[in-house]
Amino acid sequence: MKINDSGDILTISNIKELAAGNSDMFRDEVRAAVPSGVKAIEIDLSDTDFVDSCGLGALISLYKFVNSRHGPVPVRLINPTPSIQQIFELTRLHRIFEIVKSE
Amino acid sequence: MSCLPRNPPACVTFRTSLQCDLSEVTPTRLELREFLQEQGVGQEEISACELALAEACNNAVQNATDEARNNVIEVLAICTPSKVELHVSDHTPGFEWADKVPLPAIEAEHGRGLFFIQSCMDTANYFRGPDENRLVMGKLRAPTGASPLPADGDDLRVADLRSRLAESQQALTEMARELCFRSETLAAICRCSADLGRSNDLKGFAQRLLDDLLHIAAAEWFVVRTINPANQLSVFVASIDHASFADVPFGPEARGIISLEAQSAASCEDVEFGPERPLAPEDPLLAHFADACGFIHPIRMDQTLIGTMAIGRSATDSGFSIRQREVIRTFADFLAIQVLNARLQEQQLSNRLVSHELEIARGIQRSLLPKTLPQLRGFGLAASCETARQVGGDFYDLLQISPTSVLLVIADVMGKGVPAALFAALLRSAVRANPEWSSSPAEMLTRINHLLFQDLSRVNMFITAQIVLLDLERRRAVVGGAGHCPLLFATAGSKHINAVASQGMPLGIVRKASFEETVIVLEPGSRLLLYTDGVTESRNAAGEPFGQERLESWLAASWKSANSAEALKTTLMATLNKFESNSPLSDDRTFLIAADEHQNATQALKIK
Repeated sequence: MKINDSGDILTISNIKELAAGNSDMFRDEVRAAVPSGVKAIEIDLSDTDFVDSCGLGALISLYKFVNSRHGPVPVRLINPTPSIQQIFELTRLHRIFEIVKSE
Repeated sequence: MSCLPRNPPACVTFRTSLQCDLSEVTPTRLELREFLQEQGVGQEEISACELALAEACNNAVQNATDEARNNVIEVLAICTPSKVELHVSDHTPGFEWADKVPLPAIEAEHGRGLFFIQSCMDTANYFRGPDENRLVMGKLRAPTGASPLPADGDDLRVADLRSRLAESQQALTEMARELCFRSETLAAICRCSADLGRSNDLKGFAQRLLDDLLHIAAAEWFVVRTINPANQLSVFVASIDHASFADVPFGPEARGIISLEAQSAASCEDVEFGPERPLAPEDPLLAHFADACGFIHPIRMDQTLIGTMAIGRSATDSGFSIRQREVIRTFADFLAIQVLNARLQEQQLSNRLVSHELEIARGIQRSLLPKTLPQLRGFGLAASCETARQVGGDFYDLLQISPTSVLLVIADVMGKGVPAALFAALLRSAVRANPEWSSSPAEMLTRINHLLFQDLSRVNMFITAQIVLLDLERRRAVVGGAGHCPLLFATAGSKHINAVASQGMPLGIVRKASFEETVIVLEPGSRLLLYTDGVTESRNAAGEPFGQERLESWLAASWKSANSAEALKTTLMATLNKFESNSPLSDDRTFLIAADEHQNATQALKIK
């Protein structure tokens, strides 16, 4: 997992999976990396082949964390695979996360 | 089956297991992915199965009971041409399985696992078992040409049949295993119940029941203790000779006593022992069961603690499985019911015995009282003996010694039931058999005490008694008392009531007792009242005792109004009943009245 802080935007990439086994670590590491005055968080899911309910829980927790500390901050999910996008749609979470498909 | 054509396997299974650790879920999921890919399952179905498996495993890991953390979670995947079936075992307390899990609120961080399983699989069933639970999920395979299985219709049908056969065979095996286990338990319980119906031997019943349990639960030994009246745990039955087992105190007084059985009884919880938690050197179990593992289960019925059951096997074996524990607890519950039942039956029996005994005692007591009263010229005698429901030992006797003398005896045997009635009978015999002693009541008491002392002191009973010789020839009464209520007397000449207290000790207290005598001169109009403490102990609604003072007042007041012994008796009974507001007697109440009625006759003559 890679975390890149460009000042305004925090980008997380190289995520193999977001599941029970790593979701707590993911949440804690990203939380710690959120800079003050962050404008957006982008989570690159192009390398992610699996997300389970714990992974979703971690994303929701992160969303609540930044939006309670740093005002309205969008959390974008970049390039999820179709089956993962389906999971977000199934749980209606695409309403709080912005799903971005590049190309 | 041999006629079936060879074709690619129609039902392929994959088994794996994982430790109770979230980090093991992903490798297991990837193993399943690989297996399903090999079977040519479509990508969409694989994703669904992966998600369902991961959620099922997460649940199994996160909710496992502490004692089951060492158990592996078993995963079974069955792939047939038409569907994929996933089995995941769990050792959790079991969760409530809803037919339709609603979508959790959008901001909720937890609770989507079951929703995912139901959403992405076509079927999902949760089976709760005594040993483990099992989630069985099915995903139908999309009919695609990519199937590696032959497309030939007949072959497909055969393959489908085979796979269904395999599935039902497996289900049957599971059911048979379950049924065997259950029926063995049931059979053992039924066998023992039938035994119990035939005899009232609870110990023998418990022994046989638990011998069966050893066999069923693969245990080597048991020790069942029950709480004895001294509030200690004493061995009821055991699989070994338990003569050397001492009782174990429990509760607050057991502080510092290192007995796991006492601990289990005090906490009402299962207590484990084994290599990780060895028995303390002081634990009574250690002497017989060194190097054992097992647990102690409190035996109780609702809130009633009956005792404990320690059960174990060699420490080289593994501990009891959940299923075995379940069976052990079931047997303990069953035993608890039987013990309570037996106790209730015993109690009923002893209640019947007690009431029977009281009936006998009452009969004896009634038969001891004189049927007719002696006649004295010019002197009236009256007696009353009311017995309480709980028979006490009140007793009186009136014995004609000569035409001009009567012996009055009143006594209260301290004790109840048959023993008290028997001592009253002994006392009566002693008096009646030796009328020659009657010239001196004190001497009579001394001799009777000597006669009865040994028997009375052996059973810790004693008798208070008062003996009065009414001698009309010499116009006197000789009073001897042994720890009894004072005799009250009134005469026409004296304005106040005299009380003659009994100086001596009750009969049966000391072997060589001596008693004093008081001589009363019988003046005209004399009234004598002998009574037992049931009279002064009569209580009113406020709980106040009638008392000697009220009794003396009554005697003073009634001296003139009631001029015969019989009339005095009637007014005293009425006075006592009024005081008690007719509430039932709590103790026997006996009194004797002797009244000089000579004056009445004189007065009557004068009127004539």
